[in-house]
Amino acid sequence: MSAIAEIQPYVEAFKAQPHTHTAEPGWLKQRRESAMQRFAELGFPTRKQEAWRFTDLQPLQRAPFPPAVGKSKVAAADIAPWLYPNAAHRIVLVDGAFVPELSAIGKLPEGVWLASTTQTLRDRPDFMNTALRETDALGAQPFIALNAALFADGFVLAFEPNVVLDRAVEVIHLGRAAGRSAQLRNLILLGAGSRATVIETFAGEGGYWINAVDVITVSAGAALRHVKLQDEGAAAIHIGHNRIELDRDARYENFILSLGGKLARTDVQLKFDGEGAACGLFGATLLRGEQEGTIATVVDHAAPRCITREYYKSVAADRAHGVFLGTIGVRPHAQKTDANQLSKNLLLGARAAIDTKPELEILADDVKCSHGATVGDLDETALFYLESRGIPPAEARRMLVEAFAAEVIERIEDDTALRAHLGRHVTRWLAGGVA
Amino acid sequence: MLEIKNLHARISEGREILKGVDLVVKAGEVHAIMGPNGSGKSTLAGVLSGKPGYDVTDGQVLFHGRDLLTMAADERAREGVFLAFQYPVEIPGVNNMYFLRAALNAVRKQRGESDMDAGQFLKAVRAKLKLLEIGEDLLQRGVNVGFSGGEKKRNEIFQMAMLEPKLAILDETDSGLDIDALQMVSRGINALRGPERAIVMITHYQRLLEHVVPDRVHVLSGGRIVKSDGKELALELEQTGYGAYGDAA
Repeated sequence: MSAIAEIQPYVEAFKAQPHTHTAEPGWLKQRRESAMQRFAELGFPTRKQEAWRFTDLQPLQRAPFPPAVGKSKVAAADIAPWLYPNAAHRIVLVDGAFVPELSAIGKLPEGVWLASTTQTLRDRPDFMNTALRETDALGAQPFIALNAALFADGFVLAFEPNVVLDRAVEVIHLGRAAGRSAQLRNLILLGAGSRATVIETFAGEGGYWINAVDVITVSAGAALRHVKLQDEGAAAIHIGHNRIELDRDARYENFILSLGGKLARTDVQLKFDGEGAACGLFGATLLRGEQEGTIATVVDHAAPRCITREYYKSVAADRAHGVFLGTIGVRPHAQKTDANQLSKNLLLGARAAIDTKPELEILADDVKCSHGATVGDLDETALFYLESRGIPPAEARRMLVEAFAAEVIERIEDDTALRAHLGRHVTRWLAGGVA
Repeated sequence: MLEIKNLHARISEGREILKGVDLVVKAGEVHAIMGPNGSGKSTLAGVLSGKPGYDVTDGQVLFHGRDLLTMAADERAREGVFLAFQYPVEIPGVNNMYFLRAALNAVRKQRGESDMDAGQFLKAVRAKLKLLEIGEDLLQRGVNVGFSGGEKKRNEIFQMAMLEPKLAILDETDSGLDIDALQMVSRGINALRGPERAIVMITHYQRLLEHVVPDRVHVLSGGRIVKSDGKELALELEQTGYGAYGDAA
C-alpha cells in the first residue's frame, strides 16, 4: 500500500468514531484532532528512519486494522494462565476496553486512584492532562500520535505523595479481535515518596494489533517497579511505548519479558528530570519461527547525578529476527552521570538474525558511561558437558537457553515471587522447543 | 565390556593422534592408562565419550558388544559410559541439583527405572555428598560455578557416584588436587569399584594409583598402547619416566 492508502483507513476510523468522543471535554477533542493530524503528516515509520531501520513493519502495513468495536466474549479461564498470584488488584482490558467482570480492584489505601482510562476521564479529567502530555522532544512518534487520536480505554494508577502499596497491581490486556486494533492509553503517576509495583501482561489469540502507550511519572523520591510480560498471540502485532519521566531521587525499574506476537516492539523512552534519580531497564526477548522482536530504549540524562543500568538479552531461533536499539544521551549539564548498558544475544539458528545497536551521546565531561554488546551461539562445551551426563541434546539446549534468560531475571531484586512468575513463563515458552 | 580395536582418530581436519589403539577392559576391572603429554590420552577419553571435534578414521569400539562410536554422547551416557572431565565446565544459571536430577532421571529411564521423587533424590544426594565431603550449599549454585579446582574434581566423582555408570573414564582426575582432595576422590572411586563396573583412569602421574590400585596399567605413547602390565608398571614408570617408551610424536 502507498503511504496515503496506509493512513486513510485510520483517518476514516477517526471521523467515523464520534460516539466515544461526544461526551469528552473540548480540550480532549482538540487533542485528538491535532494528534490525528500529526499521524496523517507522519505516516507509518519507514526503514529510512534510523529508529525503525531494523524493524520490518510489513505485517502492519499490508492491511488496515480498524479499531475494535464491541466486546469479545471472555471468561475467567481465558486470563487464568497469566494471572500473577501475588497481585492485590487487577484490571482486565479486552480488545482495549475495560471489563469490570474480570477485574478485581480491592480496597485501596487513601490517596490511590486505580481505574479504567474512560472512568478517569469522567471522574478525574485532571489526570488525563498528564496522560496526554506532549513530550515529543524525542522525535516523530506516529504510533503515539495515532494512539492519542484513537484511544478508547486503558488504565490509570495515580498515587498521592507518600502512599506505599506493597503488593502488585496487575493489568491484563487481552486481544481477541482479529484484523482489529486496540489503542490503549495508560497512565502511572506516583506522587513524591510513594511506591508501587505494576505488572502489565499482554496476551491473546488471533491476528489483532495492540498499540499501547504508557505515560509514567515518578515524582521526587518515589519508586516504581514496572514489569511487562508481552505474550501476545502468535499472529498478533504489538507496539508499545513506555514514556517515563523521573523527578529528583526517583527510582524506576522496568523489566520486559517479550515472548509473543509475530511482530512486537517496545520503546522505552525515559527522561531524568531531577538530580540523583536512578533507573534499571532490563529484559529478555525470546523469538522463534518468523517472529520479529524489537526493544528500543532512549534514556535522556537531562539532570546531574543520575544512574542508568540497562541489561537486555535476546534469543533468536529458526528464522526469527531480534533487534536491540539503545541510546543513552547525556546533556552538557548532566555531570556525574553513571550509566551502563549491555546487550547480550544468542543466535540459535543459521537463519536467525539479531541486530544490536548501542549508542552513547555524551555531552558532559565528568561522567561514567559504558556499553557493550555480544552476539553468540550456545556454548558447545557446556552442551557437551550436559549431554555427557545423559541429557538429550534438545533438553540440554533448552536448559542453556533457560539459564541465559534466567540470568537477567535475577536482576529483579527482593522479589522471589515475581522472578518465579517470569521464570514459569520462560519455561512454558521453552517447552515449545528450541531447535 | 569395552573392546577397542585398532582405533585411529584425529582432531577434526587436523593431524592423527590415535594410531591404532587396542584395549580390552572387562567388567570388574580397573585399568590405568598412563603416558607422556601429547601421547593421545585425552583424545582417547574424548573419542570414547563422544566429544565433538574428533574424527575416527579407522578401527572399532565395542561396548557390551555394541558399536559405541555410532552412538551420540548422551546415548552413551545413558547406556552407562561416564567421563570425568579433566576440566569440568562451568554452566552459570543451570542449578547443580536441577542438572543432576535431569541427568539421573535420563539415565534411570534408560535402565527402565522410574523417576526419583524429590525425597529419594535428596537422600541419595546427601549420602554421596558425605562420601566426597562436598557441602550441600555447592549444589545450590550453577553447575561448577564458583567451585575451586578440587571441588570441581570432587563434583565429577560425586556425579559418577550418583549416576552409577558401567564404565567410568576418568580423565586426569588427579591433576590439580592437593593430598586431602586426592584422598577424598580416591575414596569415591574405590567406593564404586565392583564386579559389574569397569574403571579406566587416564593419568600422567602414578600418585592416584597409590590410592586406587589398578588391575592393569598401560602405557600410551605416540597414539598406541606400547606396553601393558600389572600395577607394578606404574611404579616402574615413576622411577624411569616415559623416556623408554619414546616421546609423544
